[in-house]
Amino acid sequence: MQDDIFKLIWWVLALPLFGFLFQALMGKLVIDNLGPKIGRTMMGAFAVLPILGSFAIAANITAALRALPEDGRSRILTLFEWITVGNLSIPFEVRVDALSMTMVLIITGIGTLIHLYATGYMSEEKDYTRFFTYLNLFVCAMLLLVLGNNLALLFVGWEGVGVCSYLLIGFWYKDLNNSFAANKAFIVNRIGDWGLSLGIFFLMFMAATTLGVTGQGSDPRWLSYDVLLPNIGVMLENYGHWPLAAAAILLFIGAMGKSAQFPLYLWLPDAMAGPTPVSALIHAATMVTSGVFLLNRMSPLFEAVPVAGAVVVIVGCITALLGALIAFGQTDIKKVLAFSTVSQLGYMFIACGVGAYWVGLFHVATHAFFKALLFLGSGAVIHAMAHNQDMRNYGKLSKYIPITFGTMTIGWLAIAGFPFLSGAFSKEEILLETFASKLNWYGLPIGLIGFGVAMLVAVLTAAYMTRMTFMTFFSGEERWKLIPAHAGHGHDDHHDHDHHHGDHGHHDHGPDVHNFFYTDAEMAEIAKRTPHEHHHDLDENHKPHEVPATMWIPLVVLAALSLVGGGWLFFGVQLPEWLASAGVVVHHHEEIKSIPYWIQKVLAKPIFWAATAAFLLGVAWGYARYFKGLPEKDGVDETKWTGFQKAASKQFGIDGTLTWGSINLGKILGDISMAFDKYVIDGIVNGLGGLSKGFGNLFRSMQTGYVRGYAVLMQIGIVALLGYFIYITMIGGAN
Amino acid sequence: MLSHLIPLASVFDDVPLGWFLTLSLLMFTLGGLGVMIRRNPVVVFMCIELMLNAVNLSFLSFAAYPSPVVGDPNQAAMSGQMMVIFVMAIAAAEVAVGLGIIMAIFRQKNEVDVDEMSTLRG
Repeated sequence: MQDDIFKLIWWVLALPLFGFLFQALMGKLVIDNLGPKIGRTMMGAFAVLPILGSFAIAANITAALRALPEDGRSRILTLFEWITVGNLSIPFEVRVDALSMTMVLIITGIGTLIHLYATGYMSEEKDYTRFFTYLNLFVCAMLLLVLGNNLALLFVGWEGVGVCSYLLIGFWYKDLNNSFAANKAFIVNRIGDWGLSLGIFFLMFMAATTLGVTGQGSDPRWLSYDVLLPNIGVMLENYGHWPLAAAAILLFIGAMGKSAQFPLYLWLPDAMAGPTPVSALIHAATMVTSGVFLLNRMSPLFEAVPVAGAVVVIVGCITALLGALIAFGQTDIKKVLAFSTVSQLGYMFIACGVGAYWVGLFHVATHAFFKALLFLGSGAVIHAMAHNQDMRNYGKLSKYIPITFGTMTIGWLAIAGFPFLSGAFSKEEILLETFASKLNWYGLPIGLIGFGVAMLVAVLTAAYMTRMTFMTFFSGEERWKLIPAHAGHGHDDHHDHDHHHGDHGHHDHGPDVHNFFYTDAEMAEIAKRTPHEHHHDLDENHKPHEVPATMWIPLVVLAALSLVGGGWLFFGVQLPEWLASAGVVVHHHEEIKSIPYWIQKVLAKPIFWAATAAFLLGVAWGYARYFKGLPEKDGVDETKWTGFQKAASKQFGIDGTLTWGSINLGKILGDISMAFDKYVIDGIVNGLGGLSKGFGNLFRSMQTGYVRGYAVLMQIGIVALLGYFIYITMIGGAN
Repeated sequence: MLSHLIPLASVFDDVPLGWFLTLSLLMFTLGGLGVMIRRNPVVVFMCIELMLNAVNLSFLSFAAYPSPVVGDPNQAAMSGQMMVIFVMAIAAAEVAVGLGIIMAIFRQKNEVDVDEMSTLRG
């Protein structure tokens, strides 16, 4: 009876898959038959419901799992034998434990809210069902990633979410820039996936040789976590430190690609070209955290090789600091959030690197709450501001969009580290764990470096998030009123605006004379001549308006989670113990289990006051600079910017340098290969051909084409032959 | 069997086999030279006929003279004469095909010079 409920896990995987198939196969049929309005409502409902169903089932399974004793909280269910090669066996199996179910709840829970939001956000979208097709497929792939019980299934999910991310970034593919952004995301992720697949092969090789030899290979599922992870110690004895460290670092390279760590973070800011719900779900809440999930899952491996942990911390530090600094130079509201995500992901990796894997996952969860909230809120702001994403054109929006303002304020306070909100809990834990860490690398105190960077980034995070919030909702004047209205555009029909939801790019731009793509200039040209486009122009006549209920309900739910989610996970769920039951390595520094204890101890903890001070410092800076009005140093005229901000807006040249460098390096390699092909390979082939040709030329002159010539040759031949016969019969034969 | 040919037998008695073969050789050589030298396909055909008939003559000569090798002279005579009939039949067929080809080429090129038909030149 107890186990029956775990079999429902297949439905958690299957429902989004059915949703995907339904959207893909029936979408056009339904919308064509029922008309766009009813059809879209219905398809929207059928996009949300599978995810909601998955969430409900997952919640029940999690409740059943919690009811079990701590050492039995792991169930492995096998559907079929998937790959069998030699002794290796890779079944299609899922693992139901605390770690996977936590991720499943985040994915399906946030996923449901964002699907709901998207039904409103995309309601005017021409390719409505195509969007939900991809989004449902994404959820399915992501669930496979976290639920699969072996690295091969994780890899399938990993690539599945990658492809969905690619499709959704390039959702408005008619705009060439979006297609470029999608390509960039895909290509940069290939580098990470190269590392991940090599790491998996390496681990498989070591497991196969070690476990096969020591007799522990009686269970040949060498890639399955329940076989691989308990035997890390055996493999360490057999192979030594460095091969395992190499495998761990290779896996981490995979995590770097997917989780946008330096230097592979390049794709994430560009990925904001996708629709905002995609940015919220894939590029903030779920997919980009799969690297942290991988580190949690493989924590026994990383625990065995401290050098890998040091690498993780260093990369995390660089990423956290860089993302936070670059965020100051961004004026696009979504770009600020994108770099904030990069920075927060670096934070998570700092925590994982010092061995506090559960804290990394804790921050994944709280970050999923507040960053999804902030992204959806930014979507609502963008929606209200006629799809203008430049914060310098906002200001005083708190008056016009109160729900968005209220919820985003909670998100801002949560990420900035306001005491007792969700972000503060996970952030303080990261600070605590880095401070307490004894991790060092050849005498270099990695843990303390991580602590220093984390403190600095805490201040920076509070500062740039305050900048963003104040620029949007406060800061003096309503700056879009400074934009003069276009001459010749009547605005008497401005109230129609409400009927034009969705982003700029999605409108049908007339006949596709280019077969597929438009460049920037052509997009602008089309926007100019399409009559209803000017409704979207942000100018002095614009009146911001609140979003519909399907869009603000998710905001409110996420705001509630951002408020209390952190405390609930910490005290209610007791995340460390909960995750430890799934095999995640947890080091206990302090026993904090009950609230009274926490009140006594935590308020007396210097870390708490340090984090609070960081929050206050950052907010104070933001208040001083942005509350009264937009400072000229951060204004529309970018020539007046400070040098730091100019550099930050260009990502300190990192993006440009790396892109330019890799393109040119690739070009050089390509040129070398081409030369090799042209001169060596083709040389051999053409040389052989030329040889035959030369011989042919030598003999072709014999073929005169004259019949008499052939007749002469024939007669000469016959005479010669006869002469020979006569010779051998008369003379030769006589001998 | 060959009783009606008996008056001729004296001819064979007086003229040795070598003369017939010499005549045959001359005819064959003339025919061969014609094939090689002449450019009119009809003449070339006539030369081929000359060569064939030279061969026929040598067949008949060998049939008429008793062979030191084959035991039964009647059978030897029959074999030689049968070969001649084969050669004549095949020559007729060959001329039919050859003239057809010449006609086809003439319709294409409006001329029948053999040297012009050299499109297979290398």
